[in-house]
Amino acid sequence: MTNFHYIGKEASRPDGPDKAAGKAVYIQDLQRPGMLYGKIKFSDFPHARIKHIDTSKAERLTGVRAVITATNTPEIRLGFLRDNFALKKDKVRQYRDEIAAVAAIDPEIAEEAIELIKVEYEPLPGLFSPHEAMKEGAPLVHERDPQGNSRTDNLVPLQFHHESGDLEAGKRAAKHVVEGTFTTPMVQQCCMGTAGCIAEFDMNSNLTVWAKTQIPFLAQRDFNRALSDMGLAGKNARVIVPTLGGGFGSGLDTHCYEYIAILLAFRTGYPVKIVYTRAEEFANLSPRQSSTTKIIQGCDQNGKLTFRHVEVLQDNGAYTSWGATYPSVMMMPATSLYRISNVYFNAQLVYTNNTYCQAMRGYGNPEFTWALESNLDELAEEAGIDPFDFRMLNSNKPNETTPMGLKISTCGLKECLETVAQKLNWKKRYKKGKHRGKGLASLIHVGGGARIYRSDASGLILKLDDFGNVNVYHGGVEMGQGLHSVLTMAVAEALGVSSKRVLINPTDTGTCPWDVGTHASRGAFMACNAAILAANKLRDKIFGLAEVFYPQEVEKNLKKLKKKNPNYKPPDFDVIKAARRENFELQDGFIFIKDGPQESWLRLELARLLRAIHFRNQGQMFTTEVFYDPPNELPDFKKGFGNISATYAFGTQGAEVEVDTETGEVKILKMVAAHDVGKVLNPQALKGQMYGAIAQGIGYAFYEELLSKQGKILNPNFRDYKIPRVYEMNFPIELEFIESNDKFGPFGAKGVAEPGLVPTAPAIANAIYDAIGVRIHDLPITPDKVLAALKKLKQTKD
Amino acid sequence: MKRFNYYKPRSLDEAWELKEKIPDALFIAGGTDILVGIKNGELYPPALISLRSIPELNSIKINGGAHIGALTTISDLIHHPALYNIYPVLVEAAKRLGSVQIRNVATIGGNLCNCSPCADMALPLLVLDAKVRLQTAKKNREIPIDEFFKGPGETNLTPNEILTGIVLESPRKSAKAIFLKKGRVRMDLAIASLAALMEMEGEKCQKARLAAGSVAPVPLRLFKVEAQLEGTTITDKLVAEAQQLAAESVAPITDIRATKEYRRQIVSVLVKRALKNILGWSQA
Repeated sequence: MTNFHYIGKEASRPDGPDKAAGKAVYIQDLQRPGMLYGKIKFSDFPHARIKHIDTSKAERLTGVRAVITATNTPEIRLGFLRDNFALKKDKVRQYRDEIAAVAAIDPEIAEEAIELIKVEYEPLPGLFSPHEAMKEGAPLVHERDPQGNSRTDNLVPLQFHHESGDLEAGKRAAKHVVEGTFTTPMVQQCCMGTAGCIAEFDMNSNLTVWAKTQIPFLAQRDFNRALSDMGLAGKNARVIVPTLGGGFGSGLDTHCYEYIAILLAFRTGYPVKIVYTRAEEFANLSPRQSSTTKIIQGCDQNGKLTFRHVEVLQDNGAYTSWGATYPSVMMMPATSLYRISNVYFNAQLVYTNNTYCQAMRGYGNPEFTWALESNLDELAEEAGIDPFDFRMLNSNKPNETTPMGLKISTCGLKECLETVAQKLNWKKRYKKGKHRGKGLASLIHVGGGARIYRSDASGLILKLDDFGNVNVYHGGVEMGQGLHSVLTMAVAEALGVSSKRVLINPTDTGTCPWDVGTHASRGAFMACNAAILAANKLRDKIFGLAEVFYPQEVEKNLKKLKKKNPNYKPPDFDVIKAARRENFELQDGFIFIKDGPQESWLRLELARLLRAIHFRNQGQMFTTEVFYDPPNELPDFKKGFGNISATYAFGTQGAEVEVDTETGEVKILKMVAAHDVGKVLNPQALKGQMYGAIAQGIGYAFYEELLSKQGKILNPNFRDYKIPRVYEMNFPIELEFIESNDKFGPFGAKGVAEPGLVPTAPAIANAIYDAIGVRIHDLPITPDKVLAALKKLKQTKD
Repeated sequence: MKRFNYYKPRSLDEAWELKEKIPDALFIAGGTDILVGIKNGELYPPALISLRSIPELNSIKINGGAHIGALTTISDLIHHPALYNIYPVLVEAAKRLGSVQIRNVATIGGNLCNCSPCADMALPLLVLDAKVRLQTAKKNREIPIDEFFKGPGETNLTPNEILTGIVLESPRKSAKAIFLKKGRVRMDLAIASLAALMEMEGEKCQKARLAAGSVAPVPLRLFKVEAQLEGTTITDKLVAEAQQLAAESVAPITDIRATKEYRRQIVSVLVKRALKNILGWSQA
């Protein structure tokens, strides 16, 4: 076991003080000279042909600098399938479709101008559920595909399919079979900081975008493509990421408003800022998809799982974002949570006239695990086996390959299950009539990057200066999750300098090397692995040059010491002979010889060595660049096979609840969460991630649902859309971290950002079942659903 | 959002004068409802006349009973040194209104004039038999608070009238009251809420007052339930009947917060819990 100086110890966050003091610059705070304010005119119908747009009054309003529509700007396509347009020309397909935009000298004038834009529509029949949209003869949301070919249905042309083993044999082998359909609602990311950007052109027509993004380099690629669409091929988009007030997946795509800001900035010649209000954020930013999952599982007489059959249907909304690839993640628990050998999985996404959806924390995993872990409890009951024993019996183990081809290196699932059971005093159950119960649910998630793109890599540059500071340039995004805290620790640890000397620079495509994006719980895993690679490269170079320069410098130290203290007798030690690269060590910013005498003059300050190497003829500086690409594979999602991540995170959560059977309210008495995190990097940051994720899981379980009627969002504000507040989190949460020390993880660590909210809702639902005997299939678990289920239960009993 | 002029008179006379000049102007107190309405484009008054700088509206006087100035903020009600001892139910309700930030600006008069069915301050005032003082430059009247609410957002106020204060009598020693509220989360507009007050003489209920929120077009006195309880010895059976009667007396709607069926159920549960709590039979 390595002895770490920083890793595993409490450390405050480098971005903390500025954020606490209000000095951090969010997109809301950022100003540019001459900046204009952009505002968007959104559709008044969920599905309609645009007959005519009259912008004349808006154009005449004093203070308006530009009014743009699809007819007076170049066409810019966007989206995962390029089925979306920055501004809509012929047809609107959802309420939030962008029809026109203005740039004005202040936000109020921009808003007034928007109200002056008049649009004539020819309303078309709308489709507001996947079921409606799949009916024969249903109107088409998209008449043509992006290549211009006629479409005949509303199915999104993406395939997510997996079949393994022999399903029929698995069914024959099953003694007990349980089937269920589970649904999850659309929910919003609810970032504290709303979405926004500033777009600015210089006189060479190069573009800078300050973007609230989690994918600066993919955004750069998208914006470069837009420049090309605008006749500016070869010009460069530079993406700078300001301080972000949360991401949760909402920054995984580029958005229409960003292209609109770019078009307005190019039209006016001034920087243009667009920032969403909270109401716009709710209504016009893509939420998490709603889903319907039909699941059938069976087990033999001993409780061993024999097969799993899964069909998922998702409402894609009107356009396609990266979030449409949720099933790529759903496939992971479907094929690989618990040991199972005969699996069928199929997911279908359907276009509707609802708001189009995008990524959110967990990326399909909370949706699917809701179905899987609820259904698993039903199966355990059917088989007459305790839910904990049932899970232990079927638990994953280290060094196994799952039906999807996931290579599980380390696996702490059994330890997680045991820890939660012990903390919940699992075997001691409440008596019937107490309305109290306990429930469990587990998860598997990517913990070592996730290759859903050709490259899953992350570049990093370390630049040492003459003062002993280490400047870090990394393309990952700190969005509040604590990435910079662990990256600081990793650099300090791996290089051997004080963490105070590590300075993380702003994420900027102009200065940082490429990174695919901060998603899939990959930020810390990638950044810290890259930091270790870079630090090792730097140490090699430092130690190599130290063979010559270290003896020179410590000789000076010795001379000084002797002058001060003429009686000093140095130990019998041949510095020149000992100064070999393999003998050096660098710790806390001092270079010295391992196993050498502990004399202070032999401890050389790194900065002094660097200066000695820098300031001379043919001097050198220390800057190193690495590109870490994890050992994982881009799966074939049509076949549902491929080792998507270098390692996998596991975890179990347990809930103890009390149900008020008169009001249907559920009170959580206690939550326990045990997660296999590989290795704890920063305990405080990790706890923060977990507490936050569990709060979001509680929101998913009980409160959150983005309601829409005929495509219109009904609750676009925090008065009507409820997330848990401190009052709702008034129960103990016991966290336990299992350190499985994964060989691929930096210092042994796995990704941890998403797992915390994945099993929360099913653990609670299982506890509710234990308490009152009713099974809720549809999130969120509202009091009236609980009461209705109780009523139904009573009727069936009578 | 439409632009508007903003006036800040220093006296009631000045306020009425302004209102005479700009009849479509709105009087504004804390602004926690009106400004939201303006920002959402639901209200577009040409002018707002703020009542915040009129000193006489901004005081709590305790003298046998109490006179609470209409511009008293909800936080001031909560932190008043004497009010809780005399009217605990009023302060308990105040604590459940909005967030700290809202309570620091929202006023008791504003909460009543906004006349939402879920107005938290209406319920304790209804069960305390409060009167509201309504004034114009020429006329000064006091009416029982249950006559004040006419419909959603609609009060008994005439166009130029200002609600200047709330008048409360000193409660009887035997009176006990409670305020209960259910939302989707703790800090929420009520799905259903209830205030109840009973004066007991031995086993007998001398006086009963019940008022329910969010279950009718206005904050609703449950007169039938009161009549059924008064003069009787309360038993479990009677409580069950009161629950039934309460559920029948309300006219809730389904909205994004809850269904009407659920609201009816909650009113019934709240009546039971309130009565049993007042009687000391159980914790609510």
